[in-house]
Amino acid sequence: MTTHAASGSSPARDARGAASGGAAPADSSPLVEVRELRKAFGDNEVLRGIDFTIPKGSVTVLLGPSGSGKTTVLRSLNALDLPDAGVVRIGDAQADYADVTRGRDGRAKGDSAKRVAAVRAKTGMVFQQHNLFPHKTALANVTEGPVVVQGVSAADADTRGRELLAKVGLADHAEKYPYQLSGGQQQRVGIARALALQPELLLFDEPTSALDPELVGGVLSVMRELADEGRTMLVVTHEIAFARDVADQVLFMDGGVIVERGTPANVIGRPREARTQAFLQRILDPLN
Amino acid sequence: MKTVGRDGSGALRARSIVVAVVSLLAAMLIGLGANAHASPLPHQGRPTAADAKLPDTITVGTEGVYPPFSFHSGGKLTGYDVDYFREVGKRLGVNVKFVETPWDSMFAGLDSGRIDIIANQVTKNPERVAKYDLSTPYVTTTGVVVTRKGDDSIKKLADLEGKKSAQNITSDWASTAKDAGASIVSVEGMDRAAALLEQGRVDAFVNDELAVKYYLATHKNSDLEIALTTDDTSESVFAARKNTHLTDAVSAEIAKMKADGTSKKLYDQYFAVEAKGESSWDVVKENIGPMLAATITVTIPLTIVSFVVGLVLALGVALARLSSNAAISWVARAFVSIFRGTPLIVQLFIIFFGLAQIGLKINPWPSAAIALSLNVAAYAAEIIRSAILSVPKGQWEAAETIGMSRATALRRIVLPQASRVAVPPLSNTLISLVKDTSLAATIGVSEMFRQSQIAAAPSGNFLELYLTAALIYWIICFLLSVVQTRLEDRLGRHIAR
Repeated sequence: MTTHAASGSSPARDARGAASGGAAPADSSPLVEVRELRKAFGDNEVLRGIDFTIPKGSVTVLLGPSGSGKTTVLRSLNALDLPDAGVVRIGDAQADYADVTRGRDGRAKGDSAKRVAAVRAKTGMVFQQHNLFPHKTALANVTEGPVVVQGVSAADADTRGRELLAKVGLADHAEKYPYQLSGGQQQRVGIARALALQPELLLFDEPTSALDPELVGGVLSVMRELADEGRTMLVVTHEIAFARDVADQVLFMDGGVIVERGTPANVIGRPREARTQAFLQRILDPLN
Repeated sequence: MKTVGRDGSGALRARSIVVAVVSLLAAMLIGLGANAHASPLPHQGRPTAADAKLPDTITVGTEGVYPPFSFHSGGKLTGYDVDYFREVGKRLGVNVKFVETPWDSMFAGLDSGRIDIIANQVTKNPERVAKYDLSTPYVTTTGVVVTRKGDDSIKKLADLEGKKSAQNITSDWASTAKDAGASIVSVEGMDRAAALLEQGRVDAFVNDELAVKYYLATHKNSDLEIALTTDDTSESVFAARKNTHLTDAVSAEIAKMKADGTSKKLYDQYFAVEAKGESSWDVVKENIGPMLAATITVTIPLTIVSFVVGLVLALGVALARLSSNAAISWVARAFVSIFRGTPLIVQLFIIFFGLAQIGLKINPWPSAAIALSLNVAAYAAEIIRSAILSVPKGQWEAAETIGMSRATALRRIVLPQASRVAVPPLSNTLISLVKDTSLAATIGVSEMFRQSQIAAAPSGNFLELYLTAALIYWIICFLLSVVQTRLEDRLGRHIAR
C-alpha cells in the first residue's frame, strides 16, 4: 500500500521540489498514515477499510463517483466525522478510533477528545461551500483562528493574514465581507483561512464544484501554487486535469473502498479496474 | 365567599379564582399545616393585650383607588380611612407605612404578613370576626340603591327584581341586590358601576352611602341619584391578623377620637365636599406628570431589567434544550412548558403571595421583575433555540476545523449570526413585555397604568386617562419598533439582498 511521490515528473513538481528545498524528507515515514478506516451511518457502511499514506510535501487526489465515501475520508481525517474504527496518524498526532470514547452527542470525550483535537490541529480544511463566516471580513475570517484559538497577537495575525490574502490574489479585498466577493474569491479566502493555522495537511473537499466554470481556474491555480510550495494536500475533486497535472498520487474510491491507486499516469492514463475506467469515461465524456 | 363589605375596586371573578388557585397551590406546596402561619412579624409583640408591644412601624394595606376612603389627590395618598389611620398611628406614636394593594390581594397580603392591618372600609361580619382581629368600628354606613335621575321604577328594594344591578360580586352589597331579585352585572368597583349606570347599561347599583354621596358630590354632571336607602348598615373596622393584639391599641384610640370630635371632623372633611368640575384636558394635564414619572421610574426600568435577565436565562434554557444530555434538555423543556402554559398573573401571584406564605417574602418590584423575567425567558428560549438551529451546520464545522471549542464557536460564530434571525421575534417579546408590566399593578407596583387608575378613580375620567395610558404604551412600543428596524439593518448589513 505504498505510493511513490517521486514517480513521474512534471515541471510543476520539479519546481516544488526546488521550492521546498529538497526532495523527499530525510525521515522516510510518510506524514499521513491511515489504516483500516471504517465508518457507517446507521446501516449504511460508507467506509469499509481504507488504507493509504501521504508522504510529506506531496499531493494526493481522491477520485470517485458520488457516494463512494471520498468526502467521509476527508472528514474522518479532521474528525468532523468520527470514524468507527481505524487509525489516523498525521505527523506525531495519532488517534485509534476503536479506542476513542464517545459522549452522548457522538463526540469524543476526555482524553480521547484531546487526541482527536491534536490530529485535527494538524489539518486545514477547505469546504465545498467555503463556509466563510458571513459576519466577518475576509481578513477577519483569516485571522479568527490564529487570534482566538492559537493566541497570536492581533497585530501579528493581521500582518500574516494580509500576506495570505495576497498569496491567494485578494490583497485588495481584505476589508470586504464574503457577500461582496465572487464565489471564486470566497473560496480563495477559504483557502487563506485554512492556511492561517499553518497546518501540516491541507484538506480540500471538492473546492471548485460549487463554482461557476469561469471561476474555477483562479481557485485551481492557487491550489497548484500551494502544491508547488511543497504543501501536503489531500484533494477530493472531479477536476481530472488538475489531478493529472498536480497529483503525485491518485486514489480511486468506489463503494467505501479504494479500488485503484497509483500515479496519475497510471490511474488516470491507464486504469486497470473496470470501475475506474467507467468512471473516467463518464467524467471525460459525459454525453457518451 | 361573601366577605367584602363594600364595592371597592379590584374584585374580578377571574382574580378571585386566581387567588383561590394560588392559595391551593401554596397549600399543596407546604402541606396541610398551611394556615399555621409560620412566624408572626418579628416586631409583633407577644400575645397578651396588657404587655402587647407595638411595632415601630405599622404597615397598612389600602387600595388607593377607593374615594373618598383611600385615593390620591395632588399625587398624595389620602382619604378618610387613610387619614383616620394616620391619626391613630400618630396618637400611638408609631410610624405608619401605607402599602397600596388591590382589594382582591388585600387579605392575602395580611395573611402572608406583608401588611399588618387593613384600612380600607373592611366591613365587620361573622367570618372576619372568626378569622381576624377587628378593631371597633370607626364609621358606620348604610346601603343605598342608586338609579338614573327620573327612573321611578325603583322605589323600594323589592323593585330591583328583574333589574340589572352593577355590583362587585364578592361584596355584601351584591348580596343585598341579589336577594332583592336583581340580576348582577359584575364590575370591579363602584366607579365602574357608576359608569355603567350613567351609560344606561344597568338599571341600578347598591353601595355604601358615604361612597355614593362622595361620588355624587364630586361628579356635578352626574345623571345619578340615590333612589332609596336600605335597612342594611355596615360597620367599618380595621382588620389585623389574629392574636397580634394590634387592634386593641387601635380600638382604644378610635374611642378617644370619637370622644374628642376628631372622628367627626374627618367625616365632615370627606363627606361634605364640593365638586371640582374639571375639564378633560385639566384632568389629563394634572395626571400626565405622575403617569410619565411612573413610566420612567417603574415601567421602563422594570421592562429593561426583566428583558435583560430574561434574555440571559433564555440563552441558558435554549442551550439546555439543545443539550444532548436528556435530563438537562427535559428540565429546560419543562421550564418552557410551565412558564408559557400558565398565565403571567398567576405566576406573579405565586411569587408574590404564594412564596410569602412559606416564608419567602419578596417585595413587589422584585417579584414583578422575577415573574416577568421568567416569562420572557420561556418565550425567548424558543426563539433563541430556533435561531441557533437556523445557522447552517457548515458554520459550526468551519469553526471546528479552525480549532474552536463548541463554546467559542457558539459565542463568536453562531450567536452573532443567530441574533439577526432572532431580532424580529425577540422584539415582539419585548413589546409584549412593555405592556405586561401593567400586570405588576395587581401586586402593588405603582407602574404607569396603575397611576392612570389612581387618577381615574376619583374623577371618573376613564376615557381621557386610559387613552393617555394607551398613548404612552403605544409611543414606547413605536420607539422600540424603530430601534428594531435599525438593529435589523445593522445585523443584516453583511448579508447580500
